[in-house]
Parts: sequence; structure tokens; C-alpha cells
Amino acid sequence: MKLKDVDVAVIGAGPAGMAAAIKAREAGAENVVIMERAEELGGLLHQCVHNGFGLLYFNQDLTGPEYGHRFIEKVMDTGIQPLLETMVVRLDEDRQIGAVNTQEGYITFKPKSIVLAMGCRERSRGALNIPGTRPSGVLTAGTAQRFVNVEGFVPGNKTVILGSGDIGMIMARRLTLEGAQVEAVVEILPYIGGLIRNEVQCLHDFEIPLFLQHTITRIHGEERVNAVTIAQVDGRRNPIAGTERTIACDTLLLSVGLIPENELSSMAGIQLDPVTGGALVDELRQTNVPGVFAGGNVLHVHDLVDNVSWESELAGESAAKFAIDGKQGKRGEIRVKAGRNIRYVVPQTISGQREATLYMRVSEPEEMVRIKVGDIMTKGVRVVKPSEMLKIELSAEILKKLKEGTKEIVVDCEKRGGK
Amino acid sequence: MAKDKTFICVGCPLGCEVTLTINDKGDVVGFAGNKCKEGEKYVLEEYTNPVRTLTATVLTEGSSQPLLAVRTSKPILKTKLVQSMAIIAGARAKPPLKMGDVIVPNLLDTGADLVASSDLSS
Amino acid sequence: MSQIETEVLIIGGGVGGAAIARELSKYKVDATLVEKGVDFGQGITKCSSTIMCQGANVLEFRPEYHNSRLVWAGMPLMEPLCRELDIPFKKIGSLELVENQAGMGHPEKMMRRFNEWSGKYRPAGIEPLQFIDRETLRSWEPNVNKKFIGALYDPNIAINDPVRLTIALAENARRNGVNTLLETEVLGISAGTDEFEVQTNNGSIRCRYIINAAGEYVGKLAQMVNADDFVLYPAKLYQAVLDKKVGGLINHLVIATENGMVTPTIHGNLFFGISPGSQRLGKAHDHSTDKKLADTALRHAQTLVPDISAGDIINSFVGFIVFRNFEIGWHECTVGVSRWVPRFINASIGYPGICATPAVGKEMIEILSQQGLQLEENPKFDPYQKAMPDFSELSDEEKKKLIAQDPRYGHVVCRCETVTEGEIVEAIKRGAKTLDGVKFRCRPGMGRCQGGFCGPRVTKILARELGIPEEEVTKKDGESRNLLYKGKELLEAQQ
Repeated sequence: MKLKDVDVAVIGAGPAGMAAAIKAREAGAENVVIMERAEELGGLLHQCVHNGFGLLYFNQDLTGPEYGHRFIEKVMDTGIQPLLETMVVRLDEDRQIGAVNTQEGYITFKPKSIVLAMGCRERSRGALNIPGTRPSGVLTAGTAQRFVNVEGFVPGNKTVILGSGDIGMIMARRLTLEGAQVEAVVEILPYIGGLIRNEVQCLHDFEIPLFLQHTITRIHGEERVNAVTIAQVDGRRNPIAGTERTIACDTLLLSVGLIPENELSSMAGIQLDPVTGGALVDELRQTNVPGVFAGGNVLHVHDLVDNVSWESELAGESAAKFAIDGKQGKRGEIRVKAGRNIRYVVPQTISGQREATLYMRVSEPEEMVRIKVGDIMTKGVRVVKPSEMLKIELSAEILKKLKEGTKEIVVDCEKRGGK
Repeated sequence: MAKDKTFICVGCPLGCEVTLTINDKGDVVGFAGNKCKEGEKYVLEEYTNPVRTLTATVLTEGSSQPLLAVRTSKPILKTKLVQSMAIIAGARAKPPLKMGDVIVPNLLDTGADLVASSDLSS
Repeated sequence: MSQIETEVLIIGGGVGGAAIARELSKYKVDATLVEKGVDFGQGITKCSSTIMCQGANVLEFRPEYHNSRLVWAGMPLMEPLCRELDIPFKKIGSLELVENQAGMGHPEKMMRRFNEWSGKYRPAGIEPLQFIDRETLRSWEPNVNKKFIGALYDPNIAINDPVRLTIALAENARRNGVNTLLETEVLGISAGTDEFEVQTNNGSIRCRYIINAAGEYVGKLAQMVNADDFVLYPAKLYQAVLDKKVGGLINHLVIATENGMVTPTIHGNLFFGISPGSQRLGKAHDHSTDKKLADTALRHAQTLVPDISAGDIINSFVGFIVFRNFEIGWHECTVGVSRWVPRFINASIGYPGICATPAVGKEMIEILSQQGLQLEENPKFDPYQKAMPDFSELSDEEKKKLIAQDPRYGHVVCRCETVTEGEIVEAIKRGAKTLDGVKFRCRPGMGRCQGGFCGPRVTKILARELGIPEEEVTKKDGESRNLLYKGKELLEAQQ
């Protein structure tokens, strides 16, 4: 295990890490190390047995394991050193990494550049502060998915799912297919949190009731959950008295949000965006710490793994260039600001000197809109939803239109006039 | 008598509710509610041939991994999903297996095989 | 078990019962401790009003109150005890915040009273109280609400980990000869002339003395033998734990009677709770939280430390303070032999319970001796316990050494709190049998993801170490498994 003269260290070997490491090698980095706390490469792809992966990247409809397999093979074929069952516990501001594993004990080394690809974690019941008791049988959807698809257990029979994001809906279908009775999917917003395709193929197909604009107001059960009380909510997401109903169940799944896992980033003094929860980056995915790059869910929560791969390749390539050139490319100085109905844009800064792809999400659903990037570009979109990330490519040509001395570009989502 | 049927098109995030007008012979003679032409294609398919890719897991025998992820080699009629799960419950995957290996050929006579979605070692 | 005989039976394995057991183990007494839960300290102790030892509740001190005397006697014993048991203990001091001149009245009275009594009653090691002005308050606590003009500073207040303390006390007691029986619930007691016959779910126990340290259930147990010459009221307190990233917002415990309390915890989190001053009676044994209580507590906490946000809460729970004499407040406890049933001794501390426990232990010895128990010193008594390694606190060198000794310390299982497989295995060796048992001994599940990541892995390790199937691993007591069906069981049942 050559930890001296590591060019690029990638932290995390899920889809983001693998794509970054492969691209770093392809971009010319010699000694690329990929660090992963689990026993194998692939990250959460192993537990995503459903399909829908790779529709854009490979033009095929693959399952999670199938998508992962392609990258795992490439990692093994391109001479990248996998450091498995290795947990990075420290990251310093000067890129010193401290990690722990059973073989080597505590190891430290300083690579020439780093790609952060740690992914995200799920929001817990504790963070939601749902009133009631604290019984067993309350799991986040991702944890339940691991039990069902990897460990071989079904947590319970009568199940209620809080949250209609993709993972919640996918688990609704998965559990139903494994013989469980999904009593309800409860969603606080007036619209589902995930793709329409999942609403149809996970909920409608199995006649699973969807309660929009509802939330869980109480969990019941001393040792194991035995019921939940749900209520309708008003425009301010407050439960409306009198609308409560109690649903008997033995399992409660929570699919209420993903949070980028940036504990290491904070340790290293990386500036984070309070809206995305991930690092502030430029179009090369550079953070404010020289030689540290980020991509994938650790940067902002994606909905398509295809975009995770593309974005992380960018980060990997940039990291390789930094390692080879030994210096930072000019960091983007033009602030990209989220304007009307835009919740966030990544990257948050661009240089304006090279092509850039803007990833963004809207705050509210709207139809017949136009995404306006400053004065340099507009793109008509038929419908925008918070659960579907938008991509706007800014070619070098388009960026030439930027006025000299531009400090800021505002991205707005405007309503189109007329029909 | 003709009976209209309504479907949600999943072609794009709009999710239009499209109503098919169906004549006495059971042919689709009209579409309403779709905001684009693509929608007609999706919804027609959903009416005449509603298929889904089935993905699941199969218990293993002789492997330290308790489960093998599996998928149908092509989409099958959605009405066969639940019955397929009964077959899958009884199936066992024995290592060594490679991604793509057939676990259950011609699942429920659909013409689709149930194949391994990842490798399986002992 | 079927039928055992013992001299002293302690009912309840919370911090009170465990402290009494440990004190008893200093003597050659045949003592048994029974606890109905699957682990120690899982009752009131684990959701105690503060996850800290309140070094001195001097503000409420009155020499005529038994409770006050026990607290002041116990206080200087806590730090040495924690050192013997290798339990973390940190004196952080508390600040009772004053809003305006009118608000000075109460703290001034407290301080006067303290000075008045301190010569007479202050045990060694208790530091005096002092007032700090606005400037000092701002420099000590820049994140406390700027509206406060000063504070009464009590340097004696300390924080520790009550459940770890309880477990260490119980383990030390066991090592020194006390028989500890978990998952043993007392179902009935009958009093004979010379002894008691106690029915449990695991058989019967014959004993001469009973110490009733059953926390929430002290009243119920006393009733079993008509020894209840008191009424106990359960006061419900709501508490919330916040992410470690805001753990540094304050350095002392800050408290304001109307607004509850905010404190750093020994593990680096921030913690807030409704103070005992604004208590409300709860339904007995109802451990559920409710929105109104949660919202009120948050609002109060934000009055003290405005930067606290709901988004930083990682868990919340309800605690009970069981106390006596609701009419006059907090100040009395129920520690003493029953007026009606000889050799039946009640030990319910109420608030603040934890720091009084060493003194309660000693008082129990006194009472038992008065009640006729022969007390001969145990020459083999070893006061020391060695805690399990805390990997996250070790230096790089120490980490390396530990992993070289046992590679399982190189496998990090809980990433939020950096807890290794080595520690989890050790916790199980030391008695953890459930997910909560592991959680309270070495913290997986107490971090920001609340067990989402480590849950399946800890389940696997528990199953392996206990030699049980994974699906039988429980979260806590009773039927609290997380996994009800294995493989295709459920699917096949539906066919």
C-alpha cells in the first residue's frame, strides 16, 4: 500500500468516489487511492436493487448493482488502490488525512489533492422531533432498505411511510412485493417529493394510499410501534385540529430528507453552503481549501446517479490536474446567485473562463417557465419541480457574452407569458 | 358501451392525466389532457401493454451473502408482478454466479428471464 | 432462579439502587439487587432531569430538609467516586441568569442564605457563590441572550454521564460481592415477622431487609406491603439533545427559572430542558413527548441562548422527577425506614437525585445498622473500576497501540461518534444485551444519524456475540425487536 506520494485521495467509494477516481487516473494522476469504510466498493448502490439507473449515462435501464458493477470493474482495471474497511476520521486544513483500519491501525498521509465523496445521511426521527413514545420498529427508509435488500429481513408487516421522496415510494413498493401491507404514505407538502414515475409505479400500481398535506403527529407503542396518528396540515405546515386519524401499524419508515455528510469537510475548514449543506465550489468543483474538491451527494443531494457520476468526474479530473500541476487553477470569482424560485445553484462561483454546467433546484413547482441565467442565456422548460434537478450547460461561447468585470450572475425561474 | 380510461403519463415531470376515449370495439379513438404528443404514446402503451421491470432479491444457498439482487431481463405485464414474487420466494441462488446469469428462465411464461443483477460468490 | 435467600434486597437498578449496592459491598453483607429492565439505569436515571450531576442545589438548600442535607453530603463525594469508577466528570459551574433589578431579589436571597448557612453546613470542597456582572457574563458567555444583566455563579455544578455512572456502580458492586439480577421484576411482597417473601417473575426471594429504590415505581412497591406512608408526584420534564457542532455555544450551565436550562454535556453535545421550576404533573409512567411541551421548551431555550435552532436537535425525550409534597415544592425526599413496616426502607431522592446518591448509600448503611443489620467490613473491597476504552478520545499513538492489540478497534462502526467494533464487543462483554444497552455504554446511536447507519451493524455484532439470530436482537426491553420477519417468511405467509 503506497501511501507516500499519493496524487489523488478520494474519500468514499460510492458512485461519486468511483467516478472521480477513474477520471483522475484517466486525466493522468499516477497514484490514486480510494478510501471506503465498507468492505467493498459501490457504496449504497448495492442496496438499490431497483432499476432506473444509467438511463442518461449509459442509455440503459440498469439496477443499482448493475450500474455500480461497471464502475467497480473500471476501478479494478485502472490501477486505483482501494483502501477498504478504512474510515477517515480526520481531515486537516493542509490536506493531512487520518484514517483507521484493522490492518494498519491508524494511518496518516498527505495526498497532493483530495476528492470528497462521502455522500449523505438520512434525517432521523429525533431530528424531526415527532411527539410520542420511543418504540422499536421506527426506521429510516435507507436503513430499512439495507435490511430488506442486503441483510435479508423485513422489518414488519403493517407499515406507514412518512415522506414521499423517491426512497420512500420505492420502499413502499419493495415492502409490498415482499408481502408487507403498506397502509399509507404521508407527505407534508401538497405534492410528492419524488418522480411521477415512482408515484405511478410504486403507489398507484399497488393501491397504496397517499396522504398529501398530512404529517404524523404522534407515534404510539411502548416496546414496538403499534400505531401512528396523522393529521392534515395548513399552509404553514401546522396540524389542523380535528383532522387527526390513527392508523394501526407495526412499522414506521421515515423518508424525510437527506443531509450531506460534511463532518470531515468542517474539520478541514471547508466553507459550506447553508442551503445545500455541502461545500461552496466553483465550476471545477474546487472548495476554498487548495487541492480539495467535492462531488456527488456530499456536495448537494442529487436525484439521478448519472449526474452524480458526471459531476464527480469533473471533481476527479480537477483533482488530478491540481496534483500534476501542483497548483490551484484560477478559482471562480463570479458569484452565481439563486434568484426567483431557485432554491440553489451549484457551483456557487464560476470563473467565466471555461465552460460550466449549472445544477439547480427550484423551490416551488411551476409550469411554463423560463430559466434565465443573468443576461447570457435562457432556457424554456415546460415544468419544474423541486424534486427534479435541472441542468443548464454554459458553453465557452455563451460565457463570452459576460460583460467585463461581472461580479455576479443571478439565475431566475420566470413565468413565460401567454399560454 | 365505450368506457373511457384515465392514466397518468410518466414521460416528464408534468404527469398529465390523460383520458383515453375507447370505442365499442375496444380501440382507442381519442386522447384528452396530454400537453404534448409524447404523452399519447406513453398512455397508449400503458393501456394496451402495461409492463414493468421487476426487481427483487432471491435467498442464497452456500454463500455468506444472504441475498442476491435480481431483475427481469425485460419488462413484464404488471399483472404478473405479485405472482412472480411467489416464484421468487421459492427460488434459491447458488454461487458462483455472474451478473446476468439466469436464475429463473421464462418467468411465468412472460418470455423474460429472472437474472442476477450482481455477482454471487461463496 | 426459583428461590433465593439474601439478607438485604435492593429493588431497582437505577443510580440510587446501584449506589446503595456499591456502598453495601464495602461490608460483608449478603446483598442482592434486582432490576426489572434488561440493563441498569434505564428508568428515571437515563432520562434524568439533567444529564449531569448537579453538584450543589444550593439555591434550594434548607438545613431542615433531609433532601438538602443528603445533597450537600453527597456533593463532595461525587468527583472522587467518579475517579474511582473511571467515569468522566467535569465541573463547569452554573449561571442563574438575572434579567433586571427586580429579578435580583431571588438570587440575592439565595446568596444570603448560602452565606448564612455555609459556615455551619458547608462541607469541605464547596466553593462560595458569587455574583457576576453584565460585562463578565458577556465575556464568559458571548452567546447567552444579551438581555441578561448578570448572573449568580455557582462554581460547584458539574456534569457527568448518569447511565455510565449507574452501570459502573452496579458492576463495582457485583465485583465486590453483590448479586445483581437483571430482567427480574418484583410482582408481590409479603411481610412476615422476621423476613419478607418477595415474588418476582423469576421465582421468589426471601430477605430480611428491603431497600425500595424503584424510581417511578417506589410508590407501587411500597403499596405491595402497605409501607406507603407518603404520596409521590411524577413531574414530567422535556429534554432535548443538540448536535455536537453547537456544543460549544456555552461553557457553563445556564438557567433562568422561567426559562429552563441549557447546558453542555460531558460528551460535547448541547442539552436543554424545562427546569424543575416550571414543572407540570405528568401522567404516571407516560414517557411520550408532546408537541406543546417540545415547542415550549425550545422557546425557553432560545430565550437563554438565541442561536439554538430546532434544526440542531438530534433527539428529545421525557424525564420524570418523582417527588414528594407538591405543595411545598422540591425540597423533600423519601429516604428512610417505613413508619409502618420495619426493615422496609424507601429510597426515593427526587431532585436533584444523582449527586445525592453517594450520601444516600452511606445513610442506608446507618439505617440498616439501626434496624439491626450486622455490618462487618469487607477487606476484599476494591473501589476501582476501569472504564472501557473510548476510541474517539484517544491520541493517534494510543489509537495505533489499541488497534495493534485488538484489530477490532480498527473497525469504526458508528461514524457519527467514532465508535469501533472493539468497544461494542467490550460493551456486550460487560453486560449490554440490546441496542440501547450498547448505546448507553459506548454511544452508537447517540450521534446525529441516531443509529441509521450503525443500527444494522450493531445488530449483527450483538447477534454474533450473544449467539442469537439477528432478528431476535431487541432495541430495549420486552418485544422491542426491529426485525419481525426473516427472509421470505412474510411473503410465504401471505400466499
